Formats: sequence, structure tokens, C-alpha cells
Amino acid sequence: MQRTYKKALPHMVLIAYVAVILIPFAFVLLSSLKTNNVEISKSPFGLPESWRFLNYKETWLNAKINVYFWNSFYLSTIAAAVGVFLAAATAFALTRMKFKQISKAIYQFILIGMLIPGNVLFIAQYLLVSKMNILDTHWALFLPYTAGALPFSVLLISAFMRSLPSELEEAAIVDGLSSPMLFVKIILPLTIPALVTMFIINFLGNWNEFLLSNFFISTDKLKTLPTGLFSLRDAYASNYAQICTGIVISVAPVLIIYTILQEKIIEGLTAGGVKG
Amino acid sequence: MKNTLRNPYVYLLFIVPTITLYGLFFIWPMLTSAYYAFTDYVGLEGYHYVGFDNFDKAFGDPDFVASIKRNLIFIVFSVFIQVPLIIFFSLLISNVKKLQGFYKTTVFMPSILSTSVIGILWGYIYHPDIGLLNNILKIFGVDPVYWLAETRWPLPLLSILITNAWQWMGFYIVLILAAIFTIPKEINEAAEIDGATGMQKAVYLTVPLIKPIISVVIMLSIAGALRVVDIVLVMTNGGPAGETDVMASFMVNQSLTLGQYGYATAITMIIFAFALILTGLYQLSFGRQSERIEY
Repeated sequence: MQRTYKKALPHMVLIAYVAVILIPFAFVLLSSLKTNNVEISKSPFGLPESWRFLNYKETWLNAKINVYFWNSFYLSTIAAAVGVFLAAATAFALTRMKFKQISKAIYQFILIGMLIPGNVLFIAQYLLVSKMNILDTHWALFLPYTAGALPFSVLLISAFMRSLPSELEEAAIVDGLSSPMLFVKIILPLTIPALVTMFIINFLGNWNEFLLSNFFISTDKLKTLPTGLFSLRDAYASNYAQICTGIVISVAPVLIIYTILQEKIIEGLTAGGVKG
Repeated sequence: MKNTLRNPYVYLLFIVPTITLYGLFFIWPMLTSAYYAFTDYVGLEGYHYVGFDNFDKAFGDPDFVASIKRNLIFIVFSVFIQVPLIIFFSLLISNVKKLQGFYKTTVFMPSILSTSVIGILWGYIYHPDIGLLNNILKIFGVDPVYWLAETRWPLPLLSILITNAWQWMGFYIVLILAAIFTIPKEINEAAEIDGATGMQKAVYLTVPLIKPIISVVIMLSIAGALRVVDIVLVMTNGGPAGETDVMASFMVNQSLTLGQYGYATAITMIIFAFALILTGLYQLSFGRQSERIEY
């Protein structure tokens, strides 16, 4: 008896936490199928009277959620991938090539970036992209996103590469491989756990990014999901059923991707090193 | 034979793109910020050097000083309320066998969503007429609570803190779980043979072994608390009457809404100084303990 109780207690606590996470989503999902605010306030926890799937069609057609989603998706992916690749190349040069002194200096220089919180650079970056004439284009997001990922990526990937045994490349060099080929064929594949981790961290960062996107982009069809939904809320302020539809449409694809990729995400975060 | 790793052209090829991008979007904005902070720049030519005027103005502005305090409240809330809860839930999840994957996946979920969506979602939960919370309270006969508009006590700030915790706790829990799972099984088995209970194992074995990652979580929490801005802009835009403004949201409104670039960059320098001082203090006092742990 005592034993069962002891086993059940952690689950009760954890189920309560999970409920706190999930109930808001359930509430939004139910609301998205109701007719209007009146019905929501009349029976907040009840099922919709007439399952208004039309809400989805209206939001999809009028609110351009698909455009925002695509913008977010491709910008986040490309910026994260380019950032990780550049960081990996730099980490390789810094940790495996024989320029010890200058590498040390460059490494320290890049780590300064870790000390600078992103929004400290916000105004100066705004002035910079307007001087570069790329304000209100996707370049104004792609470049800062990619650059923003570099310091931490270089740090993490360098740490990972240092842990790789040097016998590996010695053997490869004896076989006549050049440095770039050594990087691509030997080091990069071994570094994949760290690259995946970094890609996920950067992708999520870009995906969640709101400040730059909100102020650097003003053309509606260039907006990303966070800012697009933000303006949608103001446009539909009187109809929360419609806003909930927007939330569901924007959240559902991410959750689907998450259910497919979750193992990779957790694997990426937990990957400790190459088993030798 | 080993010359291939001494090829300077390859070295440059691998370094220069990173340094260029980093220099242009990190170092250069940092330098120009430090420069504009001492001018009366409002986006036009013909601005002047004004010394420390912007900084005097900031620290003499009660609204800005109040927003600094709110960042400190964010830090205290994250470090003393969120972090213990994060460790507690991590230990719980690591100890259950059934549903472990489900718990981990679910608690992590909010952190993959954008802050703006979370802000809109919780704005709805907090809605005075049709929101989830007031509907629950109505069952108990409680009058509508103005979660994001109450002016008599700092309820809006607390509402934002709770939303922020709701979004990010799971991310840190997964980070800590990852560290717990790297602890070799033999150590746990040895403790069990010695007769340690689950609780004892957690307190005397697991927590000391995951100290480095707890340290990282605290660092990330402090950095996050100083950086916080999105959720404030989306949920209240600093309102009601500036009651929820933090340093960064104050800065954003000064710069892009009012065009006070000189003044606003001075505020970014203040945020930067805070970040340096707090992370520096933390490194000096606790960072040393977070040396690598060997099993």
C-alpha cells in the first residue's frame, strides 16, 4: 500500500504540471471552433454549439498565416544552417589547425559576443541595416540571425572538436587528405551531435525572434509568424474565436514537426560525445 | 607532411567569413552604440556630443529606474522560484519509469513556440471577460480580475512572470535531464547497494553531480531576465501606464517610437553594463565551482 502510494505521488505532481501546460492549448482549441465572444463567455469549457470550422477557412484566406509560416520557416532554417556551417569551419581552423597563438586571440575575440545581450545591439543594428538599404527585406533578418548564432556556436563546436583524438587526422593526413577535405570528410561527420544541437538551438532562437522581425519588417507579406500573428490579433480584436484559430494554425504545424523531430531535439541536447 | 594543417590560405578561408559577419553585426554595432550613447542623435545629420547627459537623464528618470527594478524582480523570480522548481521537476521526471518520455516532451513544448504566440495565447487566458482564469474564478463567485490591467498592485508584472516561467521552465528541465542521464548507471547502482533511498540519491548524488549544468541554467536565467522584452511588448507593451516596462521595452519605445536614438543607445549601454556586472559577479562567486566533473 505504502509502496503504491510512493510510486503514484511523483506521477500526480507531474500530471498536474502537464495539465498546466496543456489546458491553455485545449481552451484555445475549443474556443477556435466557437461562433463568437458571446458563446465563449457563456460556456467557456463547453463544446462548441455548432463546430464552426469555417473560422479556419476565413483565417487561412484572410490572415495570410501560410505566408508568415513559410517566411519564418525558410529564414530560420537557412540562417541556422549557414550559422552552424560557418561556426564549424571556424572551430575547425581554431582547434585543429596549427596557428595556436592567433587562434587563441580570435577565439577570445569571438567570445566577447557571448557577453553582449542581443537587444543591446538592437538600435545600432537597426541603423546599420537602414544604412545598408536592406531595411524591410529578409536580408535585414537573415544577416543578424546568422551573425547572432556565431559566438555560442563557435564556443560549443570548438569544445566538441577539441575532444576528438588527434590520431584521427594524423592518419588521414598520412593518407594525403588536404585540410578542407579533412574538415568535410573526417571532422564534420564526427561533430554531427554538436552540429545538430547547435542547429536546433539556433533554429528555435530564430523561430521565436520577435524584436527585429517586428521593427525591421513592415511589408505584410514579408512578416514572420510571430509578428504576423501579432498584427492579426489587433485586426481581429473583437473576435477571439478568430484569434484562437490563428493561434491554432500557427501552433499546429510546429507541434507536428516537434512530434517528428523531438527525439532528434532531445538526442541533440543530450549527445555527449563520440564513443571511442 | 603535416603542412596541410599550416596552410594559411585555408585558415583564412575558414575564419574570414565568420569574422566578417561577426564584426559587422556584433562588434561594429557595439562600437557605434558606444558612440551614439554620448550624442543627441535623433536619426538626422548634425547631432552633437553631449557627454554623459543621456546617462544622467536615464538615472534621473523615475520611469527608467522603475524598469530596472522590474528586471531585478525577473532575476529574483527566475533564480529563487523557477530554478528550484526546475531542479525539482527534473529529479521527479528522471526517477519515474512510466510516461517519462511523455512528461519530457510535454514540458518542453512551450519553449519551441514563439514568444509572441505565447503572449497572445496568455493574453487570452488573462482576458477579463472571456479568459480562462476569470471563468474559473467565476465558479467560486470571484469578481473579474484585471490580470494585465490592475493598477493597485503589480499583478500585471506577476502575470507576465508566470507566463514567462510557463514558457521556459521545460527547456531548462530538458537541459538538466540530459545531464542527469549522463551520470553512469554504476554510480546509482552503487548507491542503491549502499541502501540509499530515492530522496537521498537525489540530494547527495544527483544534485552535486549536475552542479555544472545548474550553474549554466542560473547563468542563462540571469541573462534571459536582463534581456526580456518580447513578452512584455506583446502582452502589455509596458502598460498599464508603464507598470510593466523593463529596461529593454523602455529602450525600444524610446528609440523606434520616439526616435530618441542617442538616449536609447545610452540605455542599451546600461543594459550591457548590468549584464557584464551580474554575469561577472556570478562567475567570480559561483562559476569557479562549475569546473568539469570527472566520473
